[in-house]
Amino acid sequence: MSSSGVIEVANCYIREPSLCSKKHIGVNMKGIWIAVAAIVVAAVVVGGAAGYVLMTEDDEVESLRLATTTSTYDSGLLDYILPVFENETNCKIDVIAVGSGQAIELGKNGDVDVLLVHSPAAEKDFVAAGYGESRTLVMYNNFVIVGPSADPLNTENAKNASEAFQKIYDNGTAGLAKFVSRADNSGTHSKELTVWSTLGYNKTLVAAFPSSWYIQSGQGMGAVLDMCEELDAYTLSDDATYYQRMDENIIPHLNMTYSGDSALFNQYSVIPVNSTIHAHVNHTLAAAFKNWLVSEAGQDLIASYEKYGHQLFFPNATPQTARVASLLIDESMDVGEGVTRGWNSFRVLRWTDSFPFHAVH
Amino acid sequence: MISTGSELLDVTLLSLYVSGMATILGSAIGIPLGALIGLKEFGGKGAVKTLTYTLYGFPPVLSGLVVYYVFSRAGPLGDLGILFTPTAMIIAETFLVIPLVTGITITSVVEVDRSIKDTVKALGASSSQSIVTVMREAWVGLVMACMIGFGRVIAEVGAAYLVGGNIDGETRVLTTAIMLETRMGHFEWAMSLGIVLLSVALMVFLFLRLLQEREML
Repeated sequence: MSSSGVIEVANCYIREPSLCSKKHIGVNMKGIWIAVAAIVVAAVVVGGAAGYVLMTEDDEVESLRLATTTSTYDSGLLDYILPVFENETNCKIDVIAVGSGQAIELGKNGDVDVLLVHSPAAEKDFVAAGYGESRTLVMYNNFVIVGPSADPLNTENAKNASEAFQKIYDNGTAGLAKFVSRADNSGTHSKELTVWSTLGYNKTLVAAFPSSWYIQSGQGMGAVLDMCEELDAYTLSDDATYYQRMDENIIPHLNMTYSGDSALFNQYSVIPVNSTIHAHVNHTLAAAFKNWLVSEAGQDLIASYEKYGHQLFFPNATPQTARVASLLIDESMDVGEGVTRGWNSFRVLRWTDSFPFHAVH
Repeated sequence: MISTGSELLDVTLLSLYVSGMATILGSAIGIPLGALIGLKEFGGKGAVKTLTYTLYGFPPVLSGLVVYYVFSRAGPLGDLGILFTPTAMIIAETFLVIPLVTGITITSVVEVDRSIKDTVKALGASSSQSIVTVMREAWVGLVMACMIGFGRVIAEVGAAYLVGGNIDGETRVLTTAIMLETRMGHFEWAMSLGIVLLSVALMVFLFLRLLQEREML
């Protein structure tokens, strides 16, 4: 506004209100328009609020907060199995899909009722410290090594995951290969560190690998696979995310170059948050959810979920397999000693109704 | 995952609700604060202004983290139980609006103040009268402040994800939905949602622009 205009307006408002008379109509019009604007803004906000209320009108039903890893949610498994439980128990499950590290932190702070995660070492610490009530095995899927389709390092013929990693390390330090790490404290990252540890590289040493070949991305699994596509790099991925990316045709130059080592077993567990530490958690519903997941019905449902032409998760919590699973997983897998076990020895843990217990041995 | 039109509508309405409320609350705090800093003379004014402008760059994730710690069950206000609700998202977003609105308000009123202060004083205005006059003259700048604040929060994802949790049907907004679809590899769908978000922002801004051009705002 020009300075003369300013003076006029100032004059008008302060000194001589009567001088404004010629503008009265304008001022009124302005008032009307401001009112209209206010009404529209209010309508937008109220509309949003109404939408929100409509969305949450079923809030009378009990709700359960589940913190889980991105792989169970993004693969569509939870959307497939949770409605069944919700209908049976007339509840609503609020899923918060984050990395396993963050999920466990949410549990520690009592912000969720139950966890479904895949980071065994961190889970055990969580339960041992009293934050989790109990840790119950639910299902597993597999980690695989993904790399350029041509597999220049020939990881396909590695005897086990450790040897494949050794090849990547040797070629990486020689400037012939790249590896992208999640480097985000996720379950996948912790599995990767477990494999490195079999080669004598602890967490600190791995973190100090030169960035010329070892790329610590801090990204989610899908984003890491996308990076590998761009960089012709190798990575460790869960197979569900790999199939998903392949299915979307986002990573056409990558291939699953190595799979089959039982050390690459990806165990998911359910952990109700301890209600003696956090009194407000919905313990009853959390326990019901846990029991349902490991029940025959829950396990059957998990086994029946297929996507991208593959069964994505293999239930292993039924009473008859739980003992074997815990032998394999708790006594061997977690500490990385299961490396020498054959692929087939846990492959048969795939749950079936008629699965004969003795066949495992 | 958003698969129906009504879900898309819910997510869009929640985006508008959260961003709208955060803009209103942030402006209700930021405009008076900016006017106060801009018009009053006090020691350390320069430092306060610098701090305000620095906070333009306040990372959304940090705002989310602070709000998370305050409203976490383990935090000081955990008993309210508002974590992972739109209320928590509004609070986190409000903190992002306040510095922007405050800063732009300071700039606008200082500019107006400089050009009319003497005139107004010479005309014998009381101090409250002169403040009213300055604010009326700075109106365009104040609307601009609110628009920029709204633009920042409707596009924000870090804080919304952290304190909202991206819960389907509860706290999923357009930005967190875009992030989820991207993570799931549905790039085209994610981009479509991005276009929805931009269209919504366009409609809001077009409307305000229309009012401004007619000198109604």
